[in-house]
Amino acid sequence: MSTEFVPFESIDDVSTRLSGQSYICSRNIATVVFLATRLGKPVLVEGPAGVGKTELAKVIATATSANLIRMQCYEGLDEAKALYEWEYAKQLLYTQILKDKIQDVTKGTSTLAEAVDKLTAEDDVFFSQRFILARPLLQAIESSEPSVLLIDEIDKADAEFEAFLLEILSEFQVTIPEIGTIKATTIPMVILTSNNAREMSDALKRRCLHLYIDFPTEELEREILRVKVPEAEAGLAAEITSMVQSMRNLDLKKAPSISETLDWARALVLMNVSALDQETANETLSVVLKYEGDLRKGEKELKAYANKKLEALNKAEDDSQDEEEAGKQDSDANGGQLH
Amino acid sequence: MINRVLQFVAILRRNGIRVSTAETLDSVEASLLTGLADRDTFQSALRTAMVKRPVDIPVFNGLFDDFFSGMGRLAAGLDENDTAPANPAEYQELLDRIEKLLDSLGDEISPLARALLLNDQAALEKILRELADSGKVPAPKSPSSQQGAVRAAAKALGVGGLSQELERLLEAAEAAGNEESELEQIRELFNERVKQLGEMLKSLVKLQGRYESSEEATPKEKDRLLDKSFYYLSPTEIKEMRDAVAILARRLRNLLALRYKRAKRGRLDVKSTLRHSMEFGGIPFRIRYDRRKRERPSVVVLCDISDSVRTVSRFMLQFVHSLQDMYSRVRSFVFVADMGEVTRLFAENEIQSAIQQAITGDVVNVYAHSNFGRAFSQFHRDQLDTIDGRTTVIILGDARNNYNAANDWALRDIQQRARRVIWLNPENRSTWGFGDSEMQVYAVHCDVVEECRNLRQLYKVVDLLATT
Repeated sequence: MSTEFVPFESIDDVSTRLSGQSYICSRNIATVVFLATRLGKPVLVEGPAGVGKTELAKVIATATSANLIRMQCYEGLDEAKALYEWEYAKQLLYTQILKDKIQDVTKGTSTLAEAVDKLTAEDDVFFSQRFILARPLLQAIESSEPSVLLIDEIDKADAEFEAFLLEILSEFQVTIPEIGTIKATTIPMVILTSNNAREMSDALKRRCLHLYIDFPTEELEREILRVKVPEAEAGLAAEITSMVQSMRNLDLKKAPSISETLDWARALVLMNVSALDQETANETLSVVLKYEGDLRKGEKELKAYANKKLEALNKAEDDSQDEEEAGKQDSDANGGQLH
Repeated sequence: MINRVLQFVAILRRNGIRVSTAETLDSVEASLLTGLADRDTFQSALRTAMVKRPVDIPVFNGLFDDFFSGMGRLAAGLDENDTAPANPAEYQELLDRIEKLLDSLGDEISPLARALLLNDQAALEKILRELADSGKVPAPKSPSSQQGAVRAAAKALGVGGLSQELERLLEAAEAAGNEESELEQIRELFNERVKQLGEMLKSLVKLQGRYESSEEATPKEKDRLLDKSFYYLSPTEIKEMRDAVAILARRLRNLLALRYKRAKRGRLDVKSTLRHSMEFGGIPFRIRYDRRKRERPSVVVLCDISDSVRTVSRFMLQFVHSLQDMYSRVRSFVFVADMGEVTRLFAENEIQSAIQQAITGDVVNVYAHSNFGRAFSQFHRDQLDTIDGRTTVIILGDARNNYNAANDWALRDIQQRARRVIWLNPENRSTWGFGDSEMQVYAVHCDVVEECRNLRQLYKVVDLLATT
């Protein structure tokens, strides 16, 4: 690693450095990240899909110039895939190539038992770190440089794996029977994410700090949009966010998340749209809503939203012809608050 | 500070948030790191260490507000309710004059009166907090005992002595050469403030009650819902129950997933081990196990949706369909006198609206008289092929057949084809077989017959299903 690891100094430092990586976070997130680095505790991040849970781990790694070690969980994930595995093929290959050498070692023995004894003495050549395939957990423990260990979607793994993980997270050491115990020299920062497909065990939760990332507030979302899709004009960004915010209040199968907001903004920018009218909104709504039933509800909401906007616009026009622009902005604000 | 945090932890526990000792230590350590200067940061620090379930977050936030800023908010009431002074300059002058008087009187005036007169919110907050912590304010057990608690609080504060203090203050003011109108001003201000103090005490008692009263309510509440018969649920309770059933389904899903996983690891598979050892020159480096075939059962649900059992049917349908991915196939039928299939509704609609459509007469006439015999024979005629040796049949109904032909041969044939037949009856077991109940007749052809009147019994049934 070329750059030096730089730990966070304060909560504000977390905020500024994460936003330097174009990750806009609330004060709450910054506080938890800061505390986690200081207390050396794992963080369990929960929240709806697409609010930037995984992204958080990535930007922490880049912001502190630490290694990111990622482990994706899935059903059936076991120790061999998560911790370490012997490289059988390599071991076999070596024994084949070194056949002559092995014969040298066993030369001069008269009985089979003697030969085996001799070979056994050389055992640790084959069961050494050389033949171990380090999986993410072992990598994180072995790493002498500071690292961020991201355990993604822990809820997808089985409960047994969770128990196993618990042991690793509390000790940060691994015992490999043939080699011995490997202890971490630098404790990695651990971030676990969960989509709540299943409730995590109390024991795991107790050991972790907890962070719940919800959908952002309207201002925060606008800020995120400004940083991530700078091409979108302020007016359009405001309309998109207030629209998405109001859609989250509908009873949808899948509420639009930040990534959907960003996709929508990018799509509209690509289409050279500078202001959201009902027609373009309807056409592009499938970017935001992913289910047929949701789309229908979303369209209805769009219509209501457009009507409200029109009303507010007319009213503003009645008040004063000149202040049309101001009236439009007013209506935006109204649209966002109506739910 | 530690004492405050410990008190707060006790309150959290009373409100159903489990905070362990280790977590308390973490939270103290965390708040030392962040400092106490910023309230929101302090809140974040405590929350991240103490609250581990998203559902608890709103509860925590509410309690945090009450506990750490409740008194402050009460004291701020002094300002809000202020009889807006007509002239700020004049008002300020009045305050200055009072302050001078108070200074001259020194210890003769109590801190409470001083805080009230000078609009000193910080001092007032301190006084109120000490009062709340002193244990002199009894927590009201019911709304009717609130007044008594307020009186006790007033007594503890020495509100009764306030009027004497006012008199002394006025005397001093007169001696200092204040005019009659100015004295009147002071008196008015003072009386106004005392009135506000009364309001504050009322809120304080309410706040206190909130900590205490929730002590037992939460578990009781849960139990109540567990044991309450499905018949008597109110609309809000049906809503709560819906969530409970969703949680139940999720739990069972985890359980089943784990069981499948375990079943996957079977015994040594010699054939496969030998085959794979070829890769390593005949050395069995990797042991192979035979994987038992994952046999997902299929489920057929027959729900009686006549008035008497509709609520139970609703939960049963929700339950089975939330578990759809655990079964190879779920088919649901509803009946009153005729049998109708509703599986399609669940494929096309969101679950709650599907249930709504299924039980409100879109499929079968719900105003007919229950006729189990007819419904079973129809099922026998049209759908018997759907049942095979892997099918679990769940029948939900009270077996009140209105003295129609029982047609139990249909059920017998169903049982012979099915893996098993489970009958859930939402009636009390002691009433089975009386009147027009054909339960005894049908029970012969069922593998399991269970009473399913409330959530607790539904839990039991779920366990039964899990052992498929």
